[in-house]
Amino acid sequence: MKSVGNLSIYKKSNVWLKFLIGAVALLFLLTVINIFSSPIRNYFYVVFSPLQKMFWSAGESSSTFLGSLLNAGSLNVQNEKLRQENQQLLSQIAFLQSIEEGNQAQSDVSTACQNSGFKLVMAGVVGLDDNDMLSINKGTADGISEGMPVINQQNVLFGKVFKVYKNFSTIMLVSNKSSIINVKVQQTDITLPEIDGVVKGTGSLKAYLDLIPINSEINADDVLVTSAIDKSFPKDLLVGKITQKQKNDQKPFQQADISLFFDVKAVDNLFVITNYKQAK
Amino acid sequence: MLIIILLFFLFSLLQNSFFVHFDILGAAPNLVFVFFFLLSFFAKEDMPYSFIFFAITAGIFIDIFSYTYLGSSAVLFLVVGGLLKGVQSVLKSRDDSQPLVYFAPLFLVFFIIYEVLLSVYLRFIDPAQTLMIFDLKFVVAAVYNLAFALIGFFIFKKFGTGNVKKV
Repeated sequence: MKSVGNLSIYKKSNVWLKFLIGAVALLFLLTVINIFSSPIRNYFYVVFSPLQKMFWSAGESSSTFLGSLLNAGSLNVQNEKLRQENQQLLSQIAFLQSIEEGNQAQSDVSTACQNSGFKLVMAGVVGLDDNDMLSINKGTADGISEGMPVINQQNVLFGKVFKVYKNFSTIMLVSNKSSIINVKVQQTDITLPEIDGVVKGTGSLKAYLDLIPINSEINADDVLVTSAIDKSFPKDLLVGKITQKQKNDQKPFQQADISLFFDVKAVDNLFVITNYKQAK
Repeated sequence: MLIIILLFFLFSLLQNSFFVHFDILGAAPNLVFVFFFLLSFFAKEDMPYSFIFFAITAGIFIDIFSYTYLGSSAVLFLVVGGLLKGVQSVLKSRDDSQPLVYFAPLFLVFFIIYEVLLSVYLRFIDPAQTLMIFDLKFVVAAVYNLAFALIGFFIFKKFGTGNVKKV
């Protein structure tokens, strides 16, 4: 009986020993993998980027196709065209307003990218994960570095470069839960005082507006553009528009639901601003 | 084994590049998790630790396309796989003729467990991340993934060979 008991204890300790050895081996393997994580990731992206791009384009086309079927013909295409035209016009308004205000001469950087002299690197979008991180097919080999702003051709801000590898980069979108951007409300009447706030990402490609002073007057459809308060981004890049404000007189600041201008799933190429000087 | 590795890689590519365009209320299918769960669920009795290989493979491919540390998802999958094996060993004493009856609820339970663990881990590496919120998006994500899991269930049932048993 005693020998049977000893055998049982021996088997149990054997199992625990195997488990411990397995855990140590796994830990060692993961440590080694993470030491070489940059080249490993870069290798996979370089080799399979064309396939990713193909899947991305196929997904975009398929969803547009299905969407147009469900929405009766060319409504989606027409909508997209109008949306792009609208963004272009809003961007031009921002540019003209800032010239009128006389800020351009005092600013360290140009206010709008049409005449800004920004150096842009075009990058193809290849993937999106569920943490609102976008992958693009350009990296350090193309002059990209962390923190660089990323926009589309209509000067809509998408986010900033979060992590950069040799041949690809990941972009933290403005809707990422860690993203906080200083913005201002675009005023049609330039005599009115500037209203500043922050756009905070909530994930799922959404964000909200916060820290608007309680006595500031904001309205639905007000357009939000980047301000140059913290100099993380060039100013007057389009961010989104207010859909519904949430004012509570008990709080010192008001918030608002916003609709972001970027449409991640409909974009094939983005532009990284490589020569914008940021705050240290 | 090579086919399984290739399939994991293909599914990770598809979920990052193709199925993001087919999200429902922001929820996209996690094909790698679905495939891992199916492989572990249908693993043969004489290979009870095969889930370890599946977990490491699936986890590494998921992490390659995310900003987290490589292998962190492997650990999460190992936990999920280990728990699944434990539950299956208990359920094995019962009649195994209708696995679909307990496959769907098991999948949902382990999907929730995986999402909670992932949320805790992301919060640990980035305090700005919020913990899991059981909102409409989460419900939609669970149902969406379950739909793919059920499709996979019937495929495995019909064609399961090699490492997986045919039910």
